[in-house]
Amino acid sequence: MKPFDIVIVGGGGAGLYAAMEAMKTNPALNIAVLSKVYPNRSHTSAAQGGANAALANKAKDDTVELHIFDTIKGSDYLADQDAVDILCSEAPKIIRELDNIGTPWSRLEDNTIAQRPFGGAGRPRCCYCADKTGHTILQTLYEQCLKKGVFFFNEYFALQLSLHDSRMKGLIAMNMKTGKIEAFPARTVLFATGGYAKMYWNRSSNAAGNTGDGQAIAYRAGIPLKDMEFVQFHPTGLRKSGLLVTEGARGEGGYLINALGERFMSRYAPEKMELGPRDLVSRSIETEILQGRGFDSPAGKYVHLDLTHLGADLIKSRLPQIREMSMYFEGVDPIDEPIPVRPTAHYSMGGIDTDNYGRTVMDGVYAAGECACVSVHGANRLGGNSLLDILVFGRIAGHTAAEEAGKFEPSPITADEIAATEARLRSYMQPSGHFERYGILREELGQTLGQNVGIYREASKIRKGVADLRELQERFTHVRVNDTSDVFNTNLMQVLELKNMLDLAETVAAGALAREESRGSHTRTDFPQRDDEKWHKHTIATIEGDRVKLGEKPVTMGRYELQERTY
Amino acid sequence: MKRYAYYLSCINESMTKEVDRSIDLWQKDLDIEMVKLHESTCCGGSNLDYVSPKHFALVNARNIALAEKLGLDLIVSCNTCLMTIRTAKKKLDESPELRREVNDILKKDGLVYKGTSNVRHLLWVLADDVGFEAIREKVRVPLKNYRIAPFYGCHILRPSAVLGKDDPLEPSSLDMLIEALGGTALPYEHKNRCCGFHTLLVAEEESLNVAAEALKEAIDIKADFIVTPCPLCHTVLDGYQAKALRQAGIHTSIPVFHLSEMVGLALGYSEKQLGIKRHIVS
Amino acid sequence: MTGAKEAHTEPKRDITLRVHRFNPQVDGKPYFDDYTIQVEKGITVLRALNYIKEHVDASVSFRAFCQAGICGSCGMRINGISKLACTTQVWDELDRCKEPGVIRIEPLRNMPLIKDLIVDMDPLVDKMKHYSNWVVSSMPESRMGKKEFLVSEEEFQKYDKATDCILCASCVSECTILRAHKEYVSPAILLKSYRMNVDSRDSIHDARLGELVKDHGVWDCTHCYRCQETCVKHIPIMDAIHGIREDALEVRGVKDSSGAKHAEAFMSDIEKKGKLVEATLPIRTNGMAWTLQNLLPMAMKMIMKRRTPPPPPLVKPAKGIKKFREMFREMTEHVRAEKKSHKK
Repeated sequence: MKPFDIVIVGGGGAGLYAAMEAMKTNPALNIAVLSKVYPNRSHTSAAQGGANAALANKAKDDTVELHIFDTIKGSDYLADQDAVDILCSEAPKIIRELDNIGTPWSRLEDNTIAQRPFGGAGRPRCCYCADKTGHTILQTLYEQCLKKGVFFFNEYFALQLSLHDSRMKGLIAMNMKTGKIEAFPARTVLFATGGYAKMYWNRSSNAAGNTGDGQAIAYRAGIPLKDMEFVQFHPTGLRKSGLLVTEGARGEGGYLINALGERFMSRYAPEKMELGPRDLVSRSIETEILQGRGFDSPAGKYVHLDLTHLGADLIKSRLPQIREMSMYFEGVDPIDEPIPVRPTAHYSMGGIDTDNYGRTVMDGVYAAGECACVSVHGANRLGGNSLLDILVFGRIAGHTAAEEAGKFEPSPITADEIAATEARLRSYMQPSGHFERYGILREELGQTLGQNVGIYREASKIRKGVADLRELQERFTHVRVNDTSDVFNTNLMQVLELKNMLDLAETVAAGALAREESRGSHTRTDFPQRDDEKWHKHTIATIEGDRVKLGEKPVTMGRYELQERTY
Repeated sequence: MKRYAYYLSCINESMTKEVDRSIDLWQKDLDIEMVKLHESTCCGGSNLDYVSPKHFALVNARNIALAEKLGLDLIVSCNTCLMTIRTAKKKLDESPELRREVNDILKKDGLVYKGTSNVRHLLWVLADDVGFEAIREKVRVPLKNYRIAPFYGCHILRPSAVLGKDDPLEPSSLDMLIEALGGTALPYEHKNRCCGFHTLLVAEEESLNVAAEALKEAIDIKADFIVTPCPLCHTVLDGYQAKALRQAGIHTSIPVFHLSEMVGLALGYSEKQLGIKRHIVS
Repeated sequence: MTGAKEAHTEPKRDITLRVHRFNPQVDGKPYFDDYTIQVEKGITVLRALNYIKEHVDASVSFRAFCQAGICGSCGMRINGISKLACTTQVWDELDRCKEPGVIRIEPLRNMPLIKDLIVDMDPLVDKMKHYSNWVVSSMPESRMGKKEFLVSEEEFQKYDKATDCILCASCVSECTILRAHKEYVSPAILLKSYRMNVDSRDSIHDARLGELVKDHGVWDCTHCYRCQETCVKHIPIMDAIHGIREDALEVRGVKDSSGAKHAEAFMSDIEKKGKLVEATLPIRTNGMAWTLQNLLPMAMKMIMKRRTPPPPPLVKPAKGIKKFREMFREMTEHVRAEKKSHKK
């Protein structure tokens, strides 16, 4: 196969923006986008809220500088300030460009792009399209890529980087439709595979496929990961699926109730009650459950989000989406019954370590979006900055790869290499004496992470988690793929995804154990304070043998000095 | 005797005259009277709406206003006329400006659209006003030997926001009528499907494929006949049957009855009286 | 307040999923496998399928991704109707089973089958490309990112619902005409085309419309409303199809295509007689040659059965036609005046 100039892995917002920008930068390039789903299915579509940009359409006094400060403060000062500069300065341009190519933004009365307030932001700067912002951005980008004639390889599952003496030669992937292992020799590879929060499995709001494939492939190829211990939890996920019940439910006056029938937020935030900040409410629910005041069910412990006192009319008119979700996914109509909820893993701040241009340490390998860690979110991401991140840095990484592709000479991927990969996958299908079910391992993975590396962390629990993960890795070697067919083998794909999650989970646990402080989303009960002296730095995880080796990297400072983060 | 204003559909005036003829025969038996609106005009289908939404509103506001003048509900026995007039009614009821503009013109003929008369299908009158119990008592010749495939057609079901009587995908009223008349309503997958009429003149091959599928299933489940509440569906399923089945390579046939004819048979009228001899497939 | 006790126990029951199976490598034709599992209330069909895959038979193959009703991956036919498995409650489906307790799970229709419940979405993507389902911005690329377009709320409302589409292909699966002809544009593509054509930022409206009025395009829709009725996002798809047709008549005129001519015939008949002149409708839609070739054999049969519609002179006008015509023409004046003031 003729080598590609750029192979982009992942067809969400970051991957598609990268493809679009790369084609714009140099239309002569041969660019492929590989995605394990049709690009329009990507998880970008689930982002409802919007994307921040200091357009000053709504608040005339909003500035890029204010956006920068909010982001750095929100990150608990772990974000790199030069990266945040780029994120926020590029934001207005990106939002306008999306408008110029057809994104259906909601509008203000003066016909400009609508903006609304969002948590942690000093001005209403979140640009939105009703409650489907991510969905419409993703559609627009996909449409534009089709228009530009981007070469899509849909339903291809990325397996590994092809390396020669740690020089990248391209990518090896499985064509789901045929089961064939195919080589993609390439000058550059750009990972944009999304986050890894699904490792918390049904304690996660993420799509089933947010298994950190790109991060795991990069990690196994020796590329460092950064700040993996930072995972953001949302307070109200549905009990069975982990799907989000948005803050609107509490905003309209919903109560959080424990199994004793108490509005327990009075213990934690007597004034703000249910409307306290996200991390506080998450921790409060978790405390109730840990202290035995939660409800119990086969799907795990939970509390109630009670809307019944709001009445049918208000629920129907103001919270129709939440009602629909409760009925679809829990079989509960919030008009009649309280909604079972518990905190849910929502977003991964960590990812592939990149510079401000999307480059990793390996020549020709780039990363962008939730898959990467530049870092602009530090220890805690602000609402409305995730879509912005994938757009801004997807675009930049696409541009960089297009500019630099010519620097790298392609070399072929050998048939032996393909055959070895095939053999490895086949081996999952060989009958062996004792075998494990991947579904059970996956559930146990989510369970141990939730319990030991979840909202509340402490040394002894994390160590338990680390040991559990080792054991799961061992048991994984006995996992068997029962579906032996070639065509669309989702059984095999899910087993490979589990392996990716297991490898990354070890980096999350390692980072969590090492970081002896509480910062942003990372809460150590044994180290409840932020410790700038020892821990104002990034953690770097690399692979050594089959173990995580932790290193560190300084945080890039700029105009803003460290301050206590209070709201 | 309950009275209704009866809308004259173009197709029942020209090609499927047997529909109105059979209703004329048995209406008194069921204690209902259909007062024919000879001033009513063609509803225009969706076609008139494409060409001119304003004329569409005017024409159908007038059709309904004629019934309102008599203080009666407007009864329709063609699915598409039903859907069309109800669509116009919805638009008129939702827009005071449109109502005003239309009424400004209508008043010159002494008419006014108020929105007081309901627009309903003949089947709905039988189901909801006459009632299946009463019908069962009036049956003289129960259809007990007949296995019947109920073909509802689209526009008595969908869009449900405009129609709303039966479940748009799992309707039951025609099945219940068949049972009330003593027949056996067969489980028929195509009962909620399309006959293909509306694309006959623009995409004939596709339309006939659509019709052939519905006919084939009825043949496969060994139905004695298909019954439909819509003269347009009847035109395709009966009139175009030979052509459709030939295109699908099927060499047999199946009779298709109008709802009004089926009721007539059970009430003791002959095929000849009801005009069943006029069908293409005998 | 629901007590703690009741919340602990949820009703459970045994149900059977009757799942369509097909592995092209070994199966000559599709068959069904029954899986009987115990489920609690509140479980979705997708979760039941996941349970089967994880605990009973790992080879059952289906697509699923977000599991939250937004990505559109898990479209399938559940008890005969196309919908998303992830937003469908098992307990709701139990009321719809033909055989008590047995839920039928089949792949979407009208797209090539790949395996079990998985169909090929490529034909849909190809149609997106064919009908230019993207905005071609009126702004040159070099100027992008500097200024936003001003778009009115009124315009946003025109495509707001249409942009809810998640391309789950439920409408494609339910489409009557697509089933009859694979080349048909299909409802989702019409919806997207409409959305592009009402966007003032777009610059290829006329070219896109030109493609839509060709064979297998917008005039082939048969108005069965199945797409709209089964849309998982409750999008009024037929409004979009009607919108394209109105637009086509407005922009391309009434003589443009057989569909347009057909529509126009209604208008002129109603104006003249208040009734449709069915006898000549085929000729006015498709011309004399087509009519003779396609309808003559049938006409003979109809003449024998006295079923032929009367020729134009014998179509009796509706009673009170004179007054009616006056009113009709008055409305024509209204429309004309309105257009004039619009142009100003």
